[in-house]
Formats: sequence, C-alpha cells, structure tokens
Amino acid sequence: MNAIEADGLRRTYRQRTGWLSPKLIETEAVRGVSLSVARGELFGLLGPNGAGKTTTIKMLNTLLIPTAGTARVAGFDVVRQTREVRRRIGYVFGGDRGLYDRLSGLDNLRYFAELYGVPPREQRRRIAELLDLVGLAGRERERVEGYSRGMRQRLHIARGLLHEPQVLFLDEPSIGVDPVAARELRRTIADLAATGTTVLLTTHYMAEADELCDRIAVIAGGVIRALGTPAELKGGTGTLEDAYVSIVGEVQPA
Amino acid sequence: MSAIGPGTTPATTTGVRAERAIAAGASAARVVIVGALLHVKQLSRSPFEIATAFIVPLVQATLAVYLFRAGTEPHLLLEAAVGAGLMGVWSSVLFGSGGAIQNQRWQGTLEMLMIAPRPAVLTLLPVTLANAVTGTYAMLGTLAWGWALYGITPDFRDPLGFVAAAAGCVAGLGMFGLLLAATFVLLRNANALTNTLEYPIWLVSGMLVPISALPGWTGPIAAVLPTTWGARAVREAAAGGPIWPSLAACLAIGAACLALGTLALVHVERRARVTATLALA
Amino acid sequence: MSRLIGLGGVIAYRALFNWTSPAMFTGTLLASPLFQLLFFAYLGRQLGVADDTFYIVGNAVLSASVACVFGGTMAVANERRFGTLGHVLLSPRSRTAIFLGRVLPYALNGLLVAAFTLSAGALLLGLRIPPGAVPGLLVVLAAGSLSCGFFGLTLGAIGLRFRDVWLVSNVATSLMLLLTGVNIPLNRLPAWMGALGDLLPITHAARAARALVSGQGAVPADLGAEAVVGLGYAVTAGVLLKVFEAESRRRASLDTL
Ligand SMILES: Nc1ncnc2c1ncn2[C@@H]1O[C@H](COP(=O)(O)OP(=O)(O)OP(=O)(O)O)[C@@H](O)[C@H]1O
Ligand SMILES: [Mg+2]
Repeated sequence: MNAIEADGLRRTYRQRTGWLSPKLIETEAVRGVSLSVARGELFGLLGPNGAGKTTTIKMLNTLLIPTAGTARVAGFDVVRQTREVRRRIGYVFGGDRGLYDRLSGLDNLRYFAELYGVPPREQRRRIAELLDLVGLAGRERERVEGYSRGMRQRLHIARGLLHEPQVLFLDEPSIGVDPVAARELRRTIADLAATGTTVLLTTHYMAEADELCDRIAVIAGGVIRALGTPAELKGGTGTLEDAYVSIVGEVQPA
Repeated sequence: MSAIGPGTTPATTTGVRAERAIAAGASAARVVIVGALLHVKQLSRSPFEIATAFIVPLVQATLAVYLFRAGTEPHLLLEAAVGAGLMGVWSSVLFGSGGAIQNQRWQGTLEMLMIAPRPAVLTLLPVTLANAVTGTYAMLGTLAWGWALYGITPDFRDPLGFVAAAAGCVAGLGMFGLLLAATFVLLRNANALTNTLEYPIWLVSGMLVPISALPGWTGPIAAVLPTTWGARAVREAAAGGPIWPSLAACLAIGAACLALGTLALVHVERRARVTATLALA
Repeated sequence: MSRLIGLGGVIAYRALFNWTSPAMFTGTLLASPLFQLLFFAYLGRQLGVADDTFYIVGNAVLSASVACVFGGTMAVANERRFGTLGHVLLSPRSRTAIFLGRVLPYALNGLLVAAFTLSAGALLLGLRIPPGAVPGLLVVLAAGSLSCGFFGLTLGAIGLRFRDVWLVSNVATSLMLLLTGVNIPLNRLPAWMGALGDLLPITHAARAARALVSGQGAVPADLGAEAVVGLGYAVTAGVLLKVFEAESRRRASLDTL
C-alpha cells in the first residue's frame, strides 16, 4: 500500500469580489494531479509560485476538499476518513504565522501535543527531544512574539513532528532558516525518511530538492509537467535547476 | 515509527472497549482543560484584551454605583457591583466567541487546530471557555473596585455558593459561547450581531434591571438564556436564595448549547474545507 | 501583510465597523444604540433616577458617539493600518485639513444614527417631541456629532503613540456613558467627574436637546458650549497631528509610529 495515493485531484477556488456588483472569480488551482508516494519515500513537489503545490498538499492533508478526484493517505480517504488521516499526518508550512504569539514555544508545543493526542506521560520527553532536534532548547520558555523568523519556523517543524506522524507534509519548511539550520533540517528530514516516515516536500531551493528527494514532480499551472528521480529529470547533463527551468519555461506563468 | 492513539488495534472485549471509552473521555477532558488554560494565558497577555476586560467593566461598575445611589434603592449596592461584574462576563463571552473562529483564522492557527485528530468542538470549546474565564476578571475587578472605592463589602450570604455559582456561570456561558461562535461563522453577516447583542442580553437576563420590570414578552426569551439563570444563581449566592436550581438550569441550557454547537461545527468544518476559508487566502 | 492582519484581529474584536456591509451597519450603528437606550431607560425607571425623557433624549444624543469617535479614530488609524500614513503625512496638501475633512462623513453618519435613535426610542417608549423643536434638535445633534468626530480624531492621534488605537476609543466611549450626564445627572456625580464631563463632547448637546424636547425653547449657551468643546478637540487634533508629522519626518520612522 502506498502512503499517498492521489487520483485526478482537481481544485477550483471561487471568490467573490467587489460589493457593488459582486463578481465570481474562479481559479482552477489544480487540474488533475495523480501521484503515488511509497511508504518511506521522500517526494518533492516543485513548481513556480501559484502552481498549485500548497493546494495539492492541503487536499492531501484534509484541509481542503477536492473539487474532483480522490486521494488516500496511509490507506484512508482524505475526504471522509479525516480523523484516521489526521492521526497519521504532520503538517509544517513556511512563514511566521500559525503559532500562539503570546505563549512560549514550550506552551505552544504542550498545547499541540495535547491536541494531537500525544499520551500525557510521553509529552515531556517528546517535547524535550524535539526542542533539541530543532535547536530551540534553552529558548523554549520565551514568548514566540520575541522569536526570530527562523526560530518560529523551527517551532513549526517541532510541532509537526510531535505525534510522530507516518506521513509528513512539508510546505516550504526551510523558509527563513539560516544555512546551518537548513542543513540540519535537511539531515532531520533525511533521517525521518530513512526511518520510514513518508515525506512530501515543497521547496523553491533546487539544491535542497536535489539532495533530499527520491523522486520529484514538477507542477505548473495545476498539472504535473514532469515526474522522476532527480537524475532522470536532469537527464545526465546539467543541474536540477537547468532541468526545472526548461520544464516550467515552456509553461505560461500562472 | 509507531502510530499513537486509540483505534489502531481492534477492540477485543467489552471491558477493553469500556476502558477505551473512559480513556477517550479523559483525554477529551484534558484537551479542553489544558486548552482553556493556555488560551486564558494567551488572552491574558494581550494588553488590549486585559484593558477591555478590566477598564470598561470598572467604568460600568462606577456607573452602576452612582445610578443606584442616585436612585431609590441605594441599599442594593452589592447587587449593583455583582450585576456590573456579570455584564463584564457576558461582554467577554460575546466578543470573545463572536471572534473566536475568526481570530484563530487571522493568527493562522485555525488550520493547525482543525488538522488535529479531534472533533472540532474539542478544539474550539477551550477558546470560548477561556473567554468566559477571562470575563471573571471583570467580576473580580468590579468587586474589588466597589470595595476599595465605595466601601461595598462583598459580604455574600453564601460565599462558597458564590464561588460555585460563578464557576458554573462561566462554564455555562462558555458552552453558550461555543454555539454563538459556530452560528456566527455559519450565518453570513451574523457577526454583525456581536456588537448588537451586548445590551439586550444585559437587559433581558436581568443583570441590573430586574426581569419583573421588563415587558412581559421578554420573559420566555429570558427563560431560555443561560445568562439569565447564571446571573440569577450568582445574585442569589450574594443576596440569599436557592442557588442550586438556577445553577442547574444554567448548566443544562449550556449543555444543550454545547450539543447544538457541536453539530453546527461539524457543518462549519465541512463547509470551510469546501470554500477554503480555514486560512486567509 | 502580517502587520495588517495582526491589527485586523484586534480591530475586529470590537471596533471593526465594516460599514460597507448593511448588516454590520444596521447591527452596530442602529440596533446597538437603541438597545442601549432601552437598557438605561428601564434601569432609570426601576431606580427612579429620572424620567424616560431624560434617558431617551440623552442616549439618543450619545448614540452618535460610537459612530463618530470610532470614525474619527479610524480616519487616522486606517492610514496606519494600510501603511499609507507616511504618504498622507508627507503629501504637500495641508495634512490637518485632510484629516479634519475626513471627520465630516463620520459626523454626518453620527447625525443620522442619532436622529434614528431619537425617533425610534421616542416611538417605542411613547415620548412626544414637539414639532417646533425638530429644527433645533437637528442643529444640536449635528453639533454633538461633529464635536464627537473631532474628539475621535484627537483620540486617533493619541492612539498613534500607543500600539493600540482602539483601546483608547473603547475606553473613551465607555467613559462617555458615565461622564456626559446622559445616564446619571451630573449633579449626582462627584464634582471632579462633573468637571470632566463638561470637557467631553455630548454633555452640552444632551442638555440642550433635553431643554428643547421639554419645550424650554432654544438654549444658545449649551449649544455654544458644545461648539467650543468640539472646536477645542479639532485644534488639539490638528496640533497633535502636526507634531507627529514633524517628529516622523525627523526620525524617518512612519512605519513604526
Ligand atoms: N484560498 C484561495 N482562494 C482563491 N484562490 C486561491 C486560494 N488559495 C490559492 N489560490 C490560487 O490558487 C492558485 C494556486 O495556489 P497555491 O497556493 O496552491 O500555489 P503554490 O504552488 O503553493 O504557490 P507558492 O509557491 O507561491 O506557494 C494560485 O493562483 C492562487 O492564487
Ligand atoms: Mg505554496
């Protein structure tokens, strides 16, 4: 059984704009994405801004209901079996929001550990481990509003790992993280994959994708333009960046 | 890598199943309590929330004191202080719940709450409970203010009953707040009610004006509002009277609101996943 | 972006009037003041402090305060919120005039609200307003609304110094309930509170409106006092904004204002 199985995923956003003469704007963000990711695989999703990466991830992690198509994560349907899916997944997104700013990093982790069902007896140990892992140990009692961007990002990562998810969705996890920490983050991600965690990663850093991913899908305009191992995409010559540019270069920008 | 949580292995016997149910209940209770405490912490550290929770009720308490003094019943000052405190609790619940879901969305935490393997009610009840709890700042502040400045000694008939009634009132209003929170996101434009519902509930629930002084048709409305019964229990504890029936009514109505709110939230969550409104675009 | 949203969250707490939405307008600006009026009228009846007329007229005049004070504050705060404060402060036209002008629509809005509240309150509680008093009442309500708007502008300018503009206006509007003599006759308050009340907008307008409704005719003294108070806030707001402008130019720190 594959860890992630998506079949013909589509997602259209409807937005109302203007209040005098409201207009309905439709955006076809994802237009038929099918992919399967094996258990323990580290799968990369690359593509230009607005390509539909985040939308795809949010359909897979139950935050959005697909307009069409189906998907299963860890064997459970992402539309109907949300509880089962959510127990098994972690989600980390890039950016400095999504945390309780006036609480300490530790309190944030405590709360989400509770929410994500980490057994009370294990919480303390697990949180300490993760603080060490992301390099926040010693700063955990400070309020998040005083954290730097990178520190917030690290806290996001720790939160995503609290309940030892089987499948991890990482949407630009290395945004704002300094080079040393980014390298550590890559090692963490690789370690997780090596111990059986399935990872779906989006990033705009080609080197990161090249180093980490077992396979990569390049998505643009809501469809997959290319899919293969980094080596296959590079086709023997050039860098992943060259390959990426030639793939998305053919497509109109979104 | 091991999956954690109930449901990963098949239940074998009834005994195990019962044990599971108890564990699940305990875990749900923990989520609500820990969650509410942390949300109280988060709210209590906002200068804006604190100031509105403290200063505005004190102004209202002062207003109530001078009004009662100016009126024909200056001996009811303790009731005025308690009533002003209750008004503050309601304001906190109303504005907190009205914005509960919206605020989480603005902070970007709503998605992280929804992605937890818990029913939506367990992630949002702590938020509305926290608002009711911070509302008690208004009550405490008002009583202290009245004591210090106007010599209104809080010599309650039943001090322990007062604590119980206040706690029950907070719980009841927190559950009512959940229903409000769910309704406010369910109905378009319902958030316009947030500003509107402050005075009518103060009035109809008899927080300062006795219900008997109001037009008769408000009676049935008052009877189904948890605020009416909560306020009554608190007042009875302060001034004397049978606290427990009122408190029970407040909690029972609160529980009914919780049940309705739970149902509404299932719908809210589903709709938000369709319309992509869990996060800001 | 996140700054905008952060502020947005706070504003929505209590003070966001999405005036583009009819529901919001009706709920916040029309229904709320009416309920407030009813609340105090019943409370006043119960306690025997004053008659219905006292409460209806007073609270109707006061009902402009929310629209005007928050409006005036918004005139300043929105500039900051949308990051345009720098542009406005640095624009070659007279800044003070721009801001003072921005208060006018909010004041007009407040006048509408007050007129509605007075009519609805009078209808609901059965108060007869002599037709001859109507023109005078409109002038009084307009004066009250305008001075409230300038008061709001002053608060908005002060708010620029604080992280939280809305906190100041929230506290101010609740203080107006206590100090403007609308709900408690000023002679029942300690002298210093009464003196503060005299410096607030609405106090004098409410007194004038009551006199008009009770048929005592025009009350130029109260109306004049209200105008003086309003003018005082207009000048204060102008001076504060000028000071902040100079300061922000010197420190080139409009964003952190
Ligand atoms: N909530 C929303 N409402 C309306 N349109 C949306 C919404 N979210 C995304 N879109 C649109 O859908 C398209 C895909 O967006 P998406 O966020 O999936 O892109 P992305 O690949 O993650 O881009 P980026 O690299 O910038 O993160 C874009 O055109 C975007 O404008
Ligand atoms: Mg994205």
